[in-house]
Amino acid sequence: MDSPNTARAAASSDQLLAFVQYLRGKKIPVSPADTLDAVEVAELVGYQDRALLKNGLAAALAKSRHELSVFEVAFDDYFQPIPERPPAGGQSDAKPEVSSANPSEQPPQKDPANPGEDPLEGLRGNSLFDALESQDESALSLAIETAAADAKVEEISLFTQRGQYVRKILDALGDEALREAAIEFEQSEPAAFEVVQALREQLRERVRDRVERAYLIHASAATEDLLDESLSKLKLGNVDHSQMARLKRLMDRMARKLAARHGRRRHRYRRGKLHVGETVRRAIPTDGIPFHPRWRKIERKRPQIMAICDVSGSVAAYAKFLLMFLYALQDVLPRTRSFAFSAALGEVSDLLATLPVEEAIERVNLKYGGATDYGRALQDFSELALAEVNSATTVIVLGDARNNQADPRLDLLGEIKSRARQLIWLNPESPRLWGTGDSEMLRVKKECHLAKECQNLKQLERVIDKILSDRR
Amino acid sequence: MRPVVECWSDPFKPNRENPLSNTHYPALSGIDAIQQAFESAGYICTTRIATVVRLAAALEKPVLIEGPPGVGKTELAKTCAMVVDRPLVRLQCYEGLDESKALYEWKYGKQLLYTQLLREQLGDVLDGAKGLNESMNRLHQFSDVFYSEAFLESRPLLKAMEEDNGGVLLIDEIDKADFEFESMLLEVLSDFQVSIPELGTIQAHSKPLVFLTSNDTRDLSDALKRRCLHLHIPFPSIELEARIVASRVPDLAQSMTDQLVRFVHAIRSLDLKKAPAISETVDWAKSLVLLHAKDLDGSLVQDTLNVLLKYEEDIQIAEGQLPKLMAAAAG
Repeated sequence: MDSPNTARAAASSDQLLAFVQYLRGKKIPVSPADTLDAVEVAELVGYQDRALLKNGLAAALAKSRHELSVFEVAFDDYFQPIPERPPAGGQSDAKPEVSSANPSEQPPQKDPANPGEDPLEGLRGNSLFDALESQDESALSLAIETAAADAKVEEISLFTQRGQYVRKILDALGDEALREAAIEFEQSEPAAFEVVQALREQLRERVRDRVERAYLIHASAATEDLLDESLSKLKLGNVDHSQMARLKRLMDRMARKLAARHGRRRHRYRRGKLHVGETVRRAIPTDGIPFHPRWRKIERKRPQIMAICDVSGSVAAYAKFLLMFLYALQDVLPRTRSFAFSAALGEVSDLLATLPVEEAIERVNLKYGGATDYGRALQDFSELALAEVNSATTVIVLGDARNNQADPRLDLLGEIKSRARQLIWLNPESPRLWGTGDSEMLRVKKECHLAKECQNLKQLERVIDKILSDRR
Repeated sequence: MRPVVECWSDPFKPNRENPLSNTHYPALSGIDAIQQAFESAGYICTTRIATVVRLAAALEKPVLIEGPPGVGKTELAKTCAMVVDRPLVRLQCYEGLDESKALYEWKYGKQLLYTQLLREQLGDVLDGAKGLNESMNRLHQFSDVFYSEAFLESRPLLKAMEEDNGGVLLIDEIDKADFEFESMLLEVLSDFQVSIPELGTIQAHSKPLVFLTSNDTRDLSDALKRRCLHLHIPFPSIELEARIVASRVPDLAQSMTDQLVRFVHAIRSLDLKKAPAISETVDWAKSLVLLHAKDLDGSLVQDTLNVLLKYEEDIQIAEGQLPKLMAAAAG
């Protein structure tokens, strides 16, 4: 076990850099300075003790609880194959070794008939063959690493390129000689053919492993980014079940980003009146002359959000995402209240606080379902919460403003607008469709501070970013 | 040929000659040694904690400790000071903490007093000077007298820099401080120096061990995180907590300790406003010793639950689940 260890230590600095690359793919932002720290840590704790290395690297690379959990999984994934390989290789090697034992016993029997002795003898001296036959771990991994570097395996960008890179690495390793030998033996020496083929298969397996790891490190991040990017631009109504998990991850990440960007500004103040006492105290060192006036502070309040969501069939999917997003931002927007309506309207804040959003929406749908009636919904809202709408409240209405020819009660909307800090209408339909058919959107738009299309996650993120930046 | 003058230092080149040897804190030179030393000082730490302390001493980097309240973040720094036998300088952060309370302040009163007292000397100094210019020049020779170290009031950060053999600096609850203060800390944490406009830059005599603690009430800036090693201390496992309680409250019977720790772990799985931390477990164990409790029974738990839980609603939740919790405690 010692020799592979030393060989590993030699290649480990590169490994560490590759691991950092892998972490970045997992969205842990590792700066060059962090990388240097990690290298120093690794030098200090060594590569022998896996748990020690993990703890040390975690301290240098993972900077928050969330990052720590991602790091732990990533570390286990990334450094798994190395300690596990010897036993796994050993097991699959057991059979070929038995079969290789047979031919080496057989040739002596054949000796009188075949003066050519052991047919494998011709291959001995080929360093690759020797390494494979003697199961020399360190020599093999070293050879594969060198060949992988020659083949520039780190440039792999697509999953479908794996075969091509396996071929390249095998060529660089000198598999050609083994293949020719195999072809030669195929007719004349079936036993030797078996042995060579088994060893070649092993080699191929290792190389495939190596290429897959390279793909995981260098390319999977780019592919993931591509998927995320396209998903964030996909119409939310068209997101199917299989994409939900990914979408949720993406949304959580966006929410974390927004929370980090806006959470820190909590202590932003506006200047208030002169603080006489403090100013006088500060003037003591300057003999009573107030060089440093002190002002009282007026704390800037975060907006309180009231979300009014249409949960009828066509818009329910969008309502779900808006609410999920708002509740992912609980830390920055702690006082969010939500209302749902289709025909009648009711407050659903409590429901959302206790249940997962998807389940809550379904329940709401059962309770308030029916033909959409914006007029009645606004009427209900006015009775329920209009008194609490004040200059710190941002009211968001999500709906397609298709009111089945009924009166949309624009007067109530106007009243909300006059009381609230901001009235924002989000419409999942594209602006080209606003005002067509029974859509009241063009009239509604005039009564709002802001009317926006929110078809996909990206647009939703932008709107919420805007709401968060706006504070007094 | 002129010698090459290095005009700035390469930011990516660590300016430590040999990170492997650390002469400051010989007590912190091995992970097992740290664990043992801490244990004899009454602090039982996991390998992860010991590793981070070891790295902090060797790499001379501050440690940012995060975790729920009461898991021993502050205690870690105190114990560390005890183990290395250096003074502990503590800075408690709060909203509105600024340079004059954390770094340094001029002793204004003393400056005023001295100018009054030295007024008579002024005549001697200016004696024989002709014209305004010459008087001015003479005064200039003494201008730095009032802005010298004699008039400098050291606050915790500067005090930690001035310790001759290094010390342990604890910046407690950094998340409570303002964002501006956090930025000011950056210079202290990365270069261990303090800039005072009137005096220049004061370098630490010997780099202190720095611990920052945070309760996760807000995200710290990336710049600050980047300068620190990160350590997250979660609630301990049952075995570890039993060891901690046993070392802190040796008078409690072993079987009782096990029951108590299992009970606390069951309570933590409930949906509470504030889950009990290690410090509460230890307090509870102490109160049970005081009450001469022989066994953890229902009525005893009900009477002492307020030691463990700090909110009335939490106590009510726990009382409702008491039979289940007692079953868990019995193992």
